Parts: sequence; structure tokens; C-alpha cells
Amino acid sequence: MKRDTEVLSRPPRLAPAFARSLIPRSRGGSPRIPTRSAVIENLTQDRERLAAYDRLTGFTLRDDVPPTWLHVLTFPLHIHLLSDPESSIRLLGAVHVSNRMTLHRPVGADERLTLDVHLDALRPHARGALVDLIGQVRVDGEPVWDGVSTYLAQGVSVEGEPHAVERQLHEPSTPHSLWRLPVGLGRDYRSVSGDPNPIHTSRIAARVFGFPRPIIHGMWTHARALAAIEPRLPPTYTVDVAFTKPILLPATVGLTSTPTATGHAAAVTDRTGTKPHLLMSVVGEPPNK
Amino acid sequence: MSHEAVIVGGNRIPFAKAGGRYAEASNHDMLTAALDGLIARFGLSGQRVGEVAGGAVLKHARDFNLTREAVLSSALSPDTPACDLQQACGTSLEATVYIANKIRLGQIDSGIAAGVDSASDAPIAVSDPLRRILLKASAARSTKDRVAALARIRPSHLAPAAPSVREPRTGLSMGEHQALTTKSWGISREDQDALAAASHGNLAAAWDEGFFDDLVTPYQGVTKDALLRPDTSIEKLAALKAAFGGPDGTMTAGNSTALSDGAATVFLADAQWAKRHHLSALARVVDAEVAAVDHPSGADLLLAPVAAAGRLMARQGLSLDDFDLVEIHEAFASTVLATLAAWESEDYCRGVGLDGPIGTLDRKRLNVTGSSLAVGHPFAATGARIVPTLAKLLHRKGAGSRGLISVCAAGGLGVVAVLEAV
Repeated sequence: MKRDTEVLSRPPRLAPAFARSLIPRSRGGSPRIPTRSAVIENLTQDRERLAAYDRLTGFTLRDDVPPTWLHVLTFPLHIHLLSDPESSIRLLGAVHVSNRMTLHRPVGADERLTLDVHLDALRPHARGALVDLIGQVRVDGEPVWDGVSTYLAQGVSVEGEPHAVERQLHEPSTPHSLWRLPVGLGRDYRSVSGDPNPIHTSRIAARVFGFPRPIIHGMWTHARALAAIEPRLPPTYTVDVAFTKPILLPATVGLTSTPTATGHAAAVTDRTGTKPHLLMSVVGEPPNK
Repeated sequence: MSHEAVIVGGNRIPFAKAGGRYAEASNHDMLTAALDGLIARFGLSGQRVGEVAGGAVLKHARDFNLTREAVLSSALSPDTPACDLQQACGTSLEATVYIANKIRLGQIDSGIAAGVDSASDAPIAVSDPLRRILLKASAARSTKDRVAALARIRPSHLAPAAPSVREPRTGLSMGEHQALTTKSWGISREDQDALAAASHGNLAAAWDEGFFDDLVTPYQGVTKDALLRPDTSIEKLAALKAAFGGPDGTMTAGNSTALSDGAATVFLADAQWAKRHHLSALARVVDAEVAAVDHPSGADLLLAPVAAAGRLMARQGLSLDDFDLVEIHEAFASTVLATLAAWESEDYCRGVGLDGPIGTLDRKRLNVTGSSLAVGHPFAATGARIVPTLAKLLHRKGAGSRGLISVCAAGGLGVVAVLEAV
């Protein structure tokens, strides 16, 4: 399907878009998602913000950027599309359940990027509907990164049989690293990611959504776990994560990671290693020709 | 079986002015970048190297294992051991000597010497009284004791203590010390500016020639030493105001090194091991010597390398004429000029225990591809910048060519080493 394209001259400001995305939509009719894609062309990366992102997530500041950073750059387009009046998916109550990204070749911090995001695959789920936010980063027309962020929109009903979501299994194992997440981590990550969701920074907002305390952004945990094995990563790879349980701040969580036949597997767990917060697998990919 | 330590090559990132393009990069980031460039150049990815020795002068407390942490972030095998070593501006030359000695003793087959410094990301400590109060409060057994300890904090304690390049025993900055030396040795402004201009000219020519293509890898979009001013001249330098030594001083920002950020590495190996691994060697490490002077009693702070050079040359039976090239670290132009004057001085040399003057250097052999005035001087990285540069220059001159490295350091220290092309 050829999509309409909305070209934005610069990343939308997140707070107003976020506020719009909270406005309830009418419940009438079948759920809709915007069909166009939102694009930003020739984006220059902000090295200072990248350095702050690296410091907060544990990456070493290199000339090539972490793939999770590219996700951060596409995130304003996610919010932009979800805040669209066309969308009956409300960000309010939407939960980021899994994420997949593929790095097709190392991406330099000095490269100008075209970001392209659309929504797709609205499908039924036992607790609502699943939808994919599909992102691509291109350099001079060459796809260098692909990302799929899957959200669960609670309370939205889509006709059809709910897809069985494959649950990744976690084998309990004593963590070989412990991370101490301070209470202000959500605020710090907001300043580098731009994600204004108060569920990560405010106790009151967290309570509204049923959490006793603010929860850290799943994409921080993802980045931190990837940074922990960064030097062992192949040059090009696909990384899959499942966000299995939010981390309430402050927290002490554990990491276990093991090399696999095709890459790496890692889990962020409670400090005993039994309950997983995030499960991650990295599989090496052949680079772009 | 005897072992010979050879320099296989090196890699550094371009040096930059403090607060410039590397302002957001930490010592860890820069050292990792320099290591990864070296690893890529010599195919060391995933390999276990015998040992990596490196350090930084301005160091955060959390970086107690800086070099090992950088190794873990690099593409080297995580089984590669590392140690931190620090000798002020002599750090990475001393690290080179340490690795070379281990190779010569047969303890390791290969190793990397490194140094890094960031004047941009320098640690800022709490004041000493505040630190003591906080330590006491944290050791307190009861809340009451803790509150009592914390109650002793005074506003004046809250001023942060920025790192300084002051000598702890004299309270003088390095520039102030060197200003004393400049005056007592009668080093002229013209000579200092001429040396600075030559440094920039030589470095610019080396970059133009592509000399650094296999010694430097870009980082953070910086492809060339950012302090280099190819268009500077003696006339332009003459217009600058004095920075040290009062209004009549002769030392300016132009003939003193700027605070800089950067990292450098040297890859050393056992000669036979290098051959087996099809790595070509540039030069062997012949010998090294460290010396110190009693600057708290008034000795010239930065002239300690003179005694080191004299003792080393005597031990090796070498005279100044035996060196094809000489690298004297340009802490200040006047440091180099005072060093050359001291080499010629019968009195000074005898005063530091040598048998006589070292001699007069033909300046055409000095710092032929520029030095710290033009490149910049991230303190701990300078030795590891000079070693591969000189090794490559000597190698081009042909087997048997000899070179001398002389590096002055805070604390009245001096490190010198002799390399010989293979």
C-alpha cells in the first residue's frame, strides 16, 4: 500500500502533542489509526544531547550511535501520530509491550537522517488491541535502521480472534550485575529522550495509572541493557525486547547476559533474578551490501 | 632467551582545545576511541593483549580503573589485563617504558601504553573541610551524631575545589614556575615565538604530507589537531600579551601549551612475536631513565629531564651526535629552550651530577613534525603521541637511526627514552 506522507520540517514539540494524545476519543465506530506516515528529512543529530543520552544509559561516546538513540529520534513521530484526531488509539493507557530494531549498518553521529514512522497492524488482544509503530531511518535513501514498537491499547476493541502473544520464558538465574536506579532517573531520562509522560516522573500521575511510584521508561532499561553488552555486539544486528514488568523507582535490579549461538541474550530482573522486567535477545545480521 | 621490545605503531585521536569539540567526551570515551582505532589498525579485535597500561592526570574518583574500563569498552578481548599508571605529563612515556620492560623480561608478548586527559571534563571536588565532615557524618553511628557532624558545615565549605596545575609544595602554577626558569636562563621572547611558530609550521607540513594518516583516527568529527594554526607566524605571536611572569614576562598563550583534550596509544611487542604475527616493527625501545629535581628548594621545575638524558646517554655510551632526531616535549617554548641551554651548560650539568655538558643540538633534528605547542598537550597523552611519531620518523630514516625523547613533568620529574629504528 502506498501511504500518504506528511513531511514535518522538524521534530514536533512533545508536550502539546502528548497532551493532545491524552484527549479521549469517541468510542463510536470501529477503531482507526492514521494511515499516513510522518517523515522528518535531513535531521542533524545533536551531539551534546547524544553525549548526555550515552552518559545516562551507559554507552561509551563513540562516532557511531547506539540503535536505541535512533529510536529516541523517531519517538516524537510516534507521539505525533498517536495524538492525531484520526487515531482512536489513545496514548493514555497504551503500554509499550515489545520492541524490535535492526541496525543494518553502523550509523555515524555526523550523518543526516531521514526518519519515517507509520502505524500498522491494529489487531485484537485479550486486553485491548495491539498496534505497531513502524519506524525507519534512512541516510541518502539507504535504510540503515528499522524499528517496530508494539503498543497495547487497553480498552480498545478490534474485531477478530485475539492473537496469542508469545510469552518469552525466563530461566531464573542470579544476576551478575546490580543497577541502582535513583528516584530521579525518570526525570533525567525525560531530559535526554524528550518523553514527557508524567508516569515516569510524578508519583501522582503514576498512581492514576495504578502504579504506587513512578516507573522508569522501558526504553531506558532497553538502552542500559544494550549498553552493558555493547562491546560484545556484532556490527549489525537485530535486537528484540519484551517489557514484561515495569520497574518502580527507586529500584535495584539485576542483569544477566549470556552469549548465544547467534548473538546474545540478556534479562533485566529483580535483584534475585527470578522476576524479569525486560527480556532481550540480540541476533547478528548481515550488513548492508 | 633475550627479548627485544619494538614499537609496532600507534594511534591517537586528534587533540582539541579544552571546552572544544571533545567537551562532552570523558577520559573513558576518548581512551576507548583511541584504543579502538589502534585495534582496527592492527587487527587486534577480540585478541588478548599482554597488558594495557595507561592513565590520566585529571581523574575522577570513579575512574580508579580507567584503563581497564576502557579495555572493557574496546574491541579487545575482555580477558586483556590493564593497569592505571600516572606520572603527570610523563604518564604515557612511563607506561611505554613499563610495557617495554615487561616485554624485555619475557613476561608479556605484546602490550599497549596509553594516556588520556580531558581538561574539559575535569573532576571538581568538594572542599577539604566539607569532605572531612561528610566522611565523619557517614561514619556516625546515630542520627544525633550525624546531625552534629553535618551542623558543622559552613557556607565557605561549599565552594568547590577545581583541579589546578599548581605544585602542591610551592603553590606556583606550572607557568609561574617556568617563568622563573625563563628569567634565570635569559630565554628571549623572540626565541620562544620562533620555536612556537616552527612547531605549528612543522605540524602543518606533516599533516599536509599525510604523515599522520596511520597514526591518528578521527573522533567526534575532528579529523585533525584542532589547536594547529598553520597560518601563525612569528609576527602574529609577537603581538600576544604576556601570560606568565608579570607584565614584562615573555611567556604568552602562543608560546605556552593550551589546556587540551585527547588520548593516545602505542602498540609494543616482542620483536620475534611481532615477526610471527606478520607485524612490521618501526623501532626498538633501547633504554629509558627518569630523574627528579628539588624544585621546592628552588631547582628549575621542568628541567629534570636534563639529568635523566645525561645519565641515560652515559649508560648507553651515546653522545648527542648519535641521535638523528630529538623530541623535547614543548610544555612551554621556554622549557625546550632552557633544556637546550642546560644541555650546553657545564655548570648545570655538573650540578645535577653529570660529568660535563651534554652538548649542542642541531635544531634541524628537533621536533621535526611539531610538538605540544601546536598539537596540544592532554597531559597524560603526550608521551604516547611522541613515541609512535618518533618511531615512524626513525623508521623512515632507516635501520639504526636513533632518537631521544625528553618529557618534563610536574613534581620536578623528567622521563627520557631512546628509540632505535629497526
